[in-house]
Formats: sequence, C-alpha cells, structure tokens
Amino acid sequence: MTCEDLRDSYELYSLGLLDGEEKLEIDAHLARNCTVCQKYLKDALGVNALMLSQVQEVVPPSRVRRRVMASVGMERAGWGWAAAMAAACSLIVTLWLGVEKRTTDRELTNARATLQQTEAERGRLEQAFTFLNQPETRQVNFGQGQPTPPRGNFFLNPRMGVLLIASNLPALPAGKTYEMWVIPKGGAPRPAGLFQLGPQGSAMHILTGAVDSNVTLAVTVEPEAGSPAPTSIVLFSAGF
Amino acid sequence: MIARLIPVSLALALLQVSLRFKDDGDLARRLRARDAGAMRELYDRYGRLVYSLILRMVRNSAAAEDLVQETFLRIWNRMQAFDQERGALGPWVLTVARNRAIDYLRSADARMSAGALELDHLEHPGRYCDFEDRALSLDRARRLKDAFEKLTPHQKTVVELAYFEGLSQTEMAERMQQPLGTVKTWVRSALKVLREQLTEAAAV
Repeated sequence: MTCEDLRDSYELYSLGLLDGEEKLEIDAHLARNCTVCQKYLKDALGVNALMLSQVQEVVPPSRVRRRVMASVGMERAGWGWAAAMAAACSLIVTLWLGVEKRTTDRELTNARATLQQTEAERGRLEQAFTFLNQPETRQVNFGQGQPTPPRGNFFLNPRMGVLLIASNLPALPAGKTYEMWVIPKGGAPRPAGLFQLGPQGSAMHILTGAVDSNVTLAVTVEPEAGSPAPTSIVLFSAGF
Repeated sequence: MIARLIPVSLALALLQVSLRFKDDGDLARRLRARDAGAMRELYDRYGRLVYSLILRMVRNSAAAEDLVQETFLRIWNRMQAFDQERGALGPWVLTVARNRAIDYLRSADARMSAGALELDHLEHPGRYCDFEDRALSLDRARRLKDAFEKLTPHQKTVVELAYFEGLSQTEMAERMQQPLGTVKTWVRSALKVLREQLTEAAAV
C-alpha cells in the first residue's frame, strides 16, 4: 500500500483501533522512517487530541488534586484532612492547656497568698497570746458604757509593746485606714502602725518594741498611706 | 463590571482553557527538573480536561479519580523521555488519559486485554513532538466542533465509539449491527472530514 492508501487510517492506528493488514502496513512504513507517514501520524495525533478535548468538562472533586500531588510525593493525600484535623485538635488542646496552666498558676498563686496570710495571722495570734500571757502586760478597755461602738482593749507591755483588740469598728471609705498613736505624757503623738478592719468589724493590731508604761494610746482614721501626725479626730483612746 | 457578571464556575473554566494556551515548553522543562510547582501547574492546566475525558469514558467517578491519578503519575514518571523543546504536552496528556480509560474498560469486560502493550507503544512521549502551535487552541477546537456537527448521525456515532469507548471497527459493526464495510466507510469518511477541516485551517 502507498502512503496515500493509508491516509485515512492513521487516526484509528494512533488510537490503537486498527488491526489486520492496514496496521502491519503502517508499522512497516513507520519502521523505515517514511517521512510522509510520519507527518500523517502527527496529523492524526493532533486530530485525536483535539477530538478528545471536545468532551464536556466536569469539575473534579478537590481531593483528586491532592491525590495526584500525593502520588508524586508532594502532598499527603487521603488522610490529609485527618492530619489537618489532628493539627487543629493539637492546637486547641495546646491552647486549652495553656489556659488551664495559667488558671492553675493563678490559683496556686492565690493559694500561696492565702497560706502566707494564714501563716501571718497565726503568727500574730501566737504573738498576741504570748503578749497576753506576760505578767507585766496591763489592760485598759475603751468604749465601755458608751452608747455607740467601737469597744475593745489595749494591752501594754513595756518590754514587748502594745496589743489592740477592737470590735464594732466602722467600715472605712476607700483610700482610708486606721492608724494607732502612742502619745507620751506632755509629748506629741507618735505613729504606732496602720491596720485595716477585719471580719465583722473587728481588728487586732500589734506594735512591737519597748513602750513607756504611762502613755495614752489612740486611734484615728487617716489616708491610706498613713500620716506622721493625726489629721482627724480621735476615734477612741485609753490612758495607762 | 464584566467580571461580576461571569459565574465563578465559568470563570474557572475560562481560566483553565486560557492556561492551555500558555507555552508548554517551560512547563515541560520544570517537570523534567522535578519542580513541585510545575506538577501543580500541569494539573491545573489539564486536570479538569483529563478527569472529564476519563469520566466520560468509564462513567464511574471513583474509577475516574483513580485513573486521573494514574495518568498524572505516568506523565511524571515518563517526563524524562519527553522532548521539552519540541513536545506538545496537551496531546500527550490526553492520549495517556484515554489509554488509562481504555485499559480500564478492557479489563472490566475482559476484551482485548492484549492491547495494553500496543497502547503503551502509542503513547510514547517521543511521538508528541513538532505539533502545530497551540494544538488544543480554542480556534482549532471550534473548527473541529463545527466539522463534527456536519457529520451524519452514523458518522457521529462511530467517531464517539472510537474515541470515547475504544471500539474497533469490528466491534462497532457488532454494536451497531451493521456490515463491517459500512462501518469502515462511515469511520473513514468522518475522520477525513475532521482532518481536512483542521488542515484547511492550518493552511489559511
């Protein structure tokens, strides 16, 4: 057969659909590098590709792209969503653990502060009992017979200092605090420490250090930082 | 304003078609150099067409997904034999895709299983060189479509059976219950019309 005889068979040949004598003829032509048949084959491949491209296009699922990339080792496929989910879960767990840790740290800090406060209270109570048990400690009460509170006791130990135990103290406005004063006879009031209201209007305050045995003790309301001298009227006082 | 009037799906389709106009040479060079981005670009350029062709042929979406994967893996593995200066990626990719579908169809109904080696020979990348520029251009596609529309119903049927179902002329004759000689006439006349339409276009 001549090249022209085979002209109409190259499309089927290149589609793998030609058999019999025609296929053998084309094989033979191509095997001897027949330039005409080479061109015909090229034309046929072009027609075939264009014919195949006429198919109505459909959008493939996005997972197909992932699978293709995975098959050539460029992306994880199939379980990629699981990896992404695991990463998201891991992030959430990490964030949650971070929040939990911060909460735990905060609670631990609070617990430590409470413990320190309790320890301080216990120390003060022990100090107060020690104070009260000393034979040289003297007691003067205040507020007795008064129609309105506060009431309580000053305990003075010339060697150890002063213990104040009071109740029914009025609540103070913000920025204010109680301040105790030691007033020597004929002298000016000396600051003897600041204290805040305890539970249910009670308060305990200790001034440590030697104190003259014949002084007057007084309490005023002062600015939060305390004052070097009283700035308000005496709330209650007692003389030894 | 025009962009707002175009549905997203249509815009994507136009983008894919426009990508096929781009020079395949640079893409082929990068594929041969094992550039990861080039493989993504190859899929973006031909993935939709390959999937559509294979789905049209096997009519099974799960199988089509497997075969698309096989197609691109085959391209990737045989890229070194592709002539990056003279080769035409589009025709080669489509041929490989069609052959994967044909293999599937033949193995599914156990017909012509011996043809696999023949298909392998026909899709050798060395054959896909020195094509006309823009082998899959819109202009050529339109011309082929116009020519196809001019075919008789029998001619259209045999062309579709050949391209999309992989039937030989003997199998077409059996399927259509027509004499083999008649089928051969329909096939050859149809292919001649299609070829000449493109040849005329190239000569203009």
